Amino acid sequence: MMLPRRTTLLGGVALATAGIASSARAQLTIDMTRPSFEPVPIAIVDFKGDSVGAQMAGVIRNNLQNSGLFRVIPSSAYIQKDVDATTPPRFPDWRSVGAAGLVVGQVTSVGGSIKVDFRLWDVVTSQQATGLSFTSQPNNWRRLSHIISDAIYKRVTGEEGYFDTRIAYVSETGPGNNRTKRIAVMDQDGANNRYLTDGKTIALTPRFSPTLQEIVYMAYGENNGPPRVYLQNVDSGRRELLGNFPGMSFAPRFSPDGTKVVMSIAENGRTNLYEMDVRGRQLRRLTNSPAIDTSPCFSADGSQIVFNSDRGGAQQLYVMSAGGGGERRISFGDGRYATPVWSPRGDFIAFTKIGSGGFGIGVMRSDGSGERMLASGFLVEGPTWAPNGRVLMFFRQQPSSGGRVGSASLHQIDITGRFERQVPTPTDASDPAWSPLIPQ
Amino acid sequence: MAAFDVNKAFAMKILPARLVLLIALALPTAAAAQRGGDAVYIEDRFNQLQQLLTNLTGQLEQLQNRNAKLQQQMEKMQADYEYRIEQLEKGGAARPGGAAPRPPAQAAAPVPTPAAGPANADQLYDEAIKKLQEGDYAAAERGFKTFIQRSPQSKLAGNAQYWLGETYYARRDYKNALTAFAEGYKVYKTSPKGPDNLLKLGITMSVLGRKPDACAVFARFNQDYPRATDLQKRRIEQERQKNGCG
Amino acid sequence: MSMIKALSALAAMFLIAACSSNNDTQTASAATTSVTPGSVGDFRQNVGDRVFFDTDSSTVREDGRQTLNRQAEWLKKYGNYQITIEGHCDERGTREYNLALGERRANAARQYLIAQGIPAARLKTVSYGKERPDPVGSDEAAWARNRRAVTALE
Repeated sequence: MMLPRRTTLLGGVALATAGIASSARAQLTIDMTRPSFEPVPIAIVDFKGDSVGAQMAGVIRNNLQNSGLFRVIPSSAYIQKDVDATTPPRFPDWRSVGAAGLVVGQVTSVGGSIKVDFRLWDVVTSQQATGLSFTSQPNNWRRLSHIISDAIYKRVTGEEGYFDTRIAYVSETGPGNNRTKRIAVMDQDGANNRYLTDGKTIALTPRFSPTLQEIVYMAYGENNGPPRVYLQNVDSGRRELLGNFPGMSFAPRFSPDGTKVVMSIAENGRTNLYEMDVRGRQLRRLTNSPAIDTSPCFSADGSQIVFNSDRGGAQQLYVMSAGGGGERRISFGDGRYATPVWSPRGDFIAFTKIGSGGFGIGVMRSDGSGERMLASGFLVEGPTWAPNGRVLMFFRQQPSSGGRVGSASLHQIDITGRFERQVPTPTDASDPAWSPLIPQ
Repeated sequence: MAAFDVNKAFAMKILPARLVLLIALALPTAAAAQRGGDAVYIEDRFNQLQQLLTNLTGQLEQLQNRNAKLQQQMEKMQADYEYRIEQLEKGGAARPGGAAPRPPAQAAAPVPTPAAGPANADQLYDEAIKKLQEGDYAAAERGFKTFIQRSPQSKLAGNAQYWLGETYYARRDYKNALTAFAEGYKVYKTSPKGPDNLLKLGITMSVLGRKPDACAVFARFNQDYPRATDLQKRRIEQERQKNGCG
Repeated sequence: MSMIKALSALAAMFLIAACSSNNDTQTASAATTSVTPGSVGDFRQNVGDRVFFDTDSSTVREDGRQTLNRQAEWLKKYGNYQITIEGHCDERGTREYNLALGERRANAARQYLIAQGIPAARLKTVSYGKERPDPVGSDEAAWARNRRAVTALE
């Protein structure tokens, strides 16, 4: 299900948010940067007025619980059963079940559309913390639930949410020596999964354009054809070759403004970085080394590119200016460093590290200092950032044995290394790419 | 502060050595080609050279990194010494009307800090200095910015402006460093840190390749700060020579 | 002068290192069965269609050279085949890097065959990175056989 563009999703306006005395906020807010904290206890009542209301509450509960920052209070514990969206709840009832926050909502049919009102009550201060009202098409109820989840997350953590997003990834099926690898896209919570390539040839490394309307990825040609970079419209499925070069082209990634794609082209044993202007299809060389330069990624402001190269022996991370030049190595720890991705906030670079003991996912500051490992395993690879720069997704591959390929799955973790959680996918999955927030 | 460019000195030493190595390896290759014209042999030699070059590149990168770190440490130490000398020259007397700034690196000598004064703002300043010492430049930057915003009239505002520039300089963000030092010169010219600020403004311009501007800045020094310390005057002279100022 | 000496010693060490790591790979050339000479089966069985590499390396080892020498002779004799050399890696690298490393390996084998007199125009390369393991496995033995360049005929 795709949303028609320019839907009147935010037809309504934010309801008046009551002024809250800052001293009383303590329990409905959370500081994610602190090393330890208690998840915020929150009750989310089935939205009233339409059968879809219960499903919406379910999506919101799932989102908040999965973030690790909330503890969702089961509905069996509720004392007040008849709470609705418009009148204040009986706060003492909610205090006594241990809730700091209470989410209520109302769904109303208006012609062919639905109107959704939701409120987040601060149970501690007996005040409304936030509230929104939307009008949209009925089949948008999932998106509305994600947008509401984001509003709650933002109100409680002070950070932007990441629930109204999608994940592109590589779906893997079939035997290990002839695996089918297709590009798939799904909502961040695993819903609305669909395939963008047919699986006739191997397709890898999908990445979203900033508007989410397009993805770039690498796919092999038919009949043993060499790997090439393709640009595909997510809605229409129309795909085009992004340049036809003598050598293999791969590892594509959009610039933050979407006007350029940076990628690797391999020829005669050398792999260098190039930038292609998406509209004019002009190709420009960015590096010129006899080594392997690959996995490029722009900084959030588009001024720099981080990539990995083995020009100094083992793979290490390098930063250069976006137009090429000024290359500078930033990783100096033990082991090999790969797949650097710049945080959308610009503060960190996440990477895959390969040491003698296995693989790890880590983050460092963009000058290479402050390295911190978040996850490790036999094979973990390919971190990608949630748009708020607070959560990462990557994939884990289990060891193969007895000729059977080890399973591959997507995992999510926050940047302090907490709350690792497997992201459900219909098939084995690798190479996740987290989209920006879906434009509203 | 960059008294001399360690990287450059290093590169000048290592590059000829590299060249000799390459030529030495290339010689037998050429001989072999003449001898047999063996394409495989040439390919082998080429690969070996490539491998050697790769190893050297890796070593060079690591040494450069170590040098950059040492240079940073040296700059911190130097700033520390300068601070202590400054204190000594003042006879260890406390500054009137406010806390003395903490030295930018761990100083063994006790620093007199009068208890009086607006504790909040001073705490903010001290906190930012501490972050700077810890190498958390982003936090130090925020601290100094907040301090300047809140207490633009403070005696320490000029110092804060100077250290703000240093937080950028340490991160090689020379453009912002330049802006900060220029602001320091414009607004806090008479601050105790004025001479250091002007010196660093010139050095930053030089790093950015704007040597004529750097020279113009250094030229203002004696006029603006006739009572600068000898050390500061010597540093200016060094920089003038380094940049080939007339 | 002493530097050149030291360097020759260094070069010698390279060669020794290359020789000492190789003995798992000789494709049986003695066991000739009833395949048609000049067929793809003949090539695979009696010549050997693949060479193996050390970890993170794209240098053709001594054992690989012998295989490629045989391949070159055979390919000169049967000039009707177009050749694609497929480069592969073991799974212990990142996906994108391994695509490039596979290309480098395929290219190393290709250059060797060109040096043996096979026309460059007959030789294409393609990299599969770590996407097509053969055999499927996560132990040293499987990894050693996955770091390979396979000469495919059509």
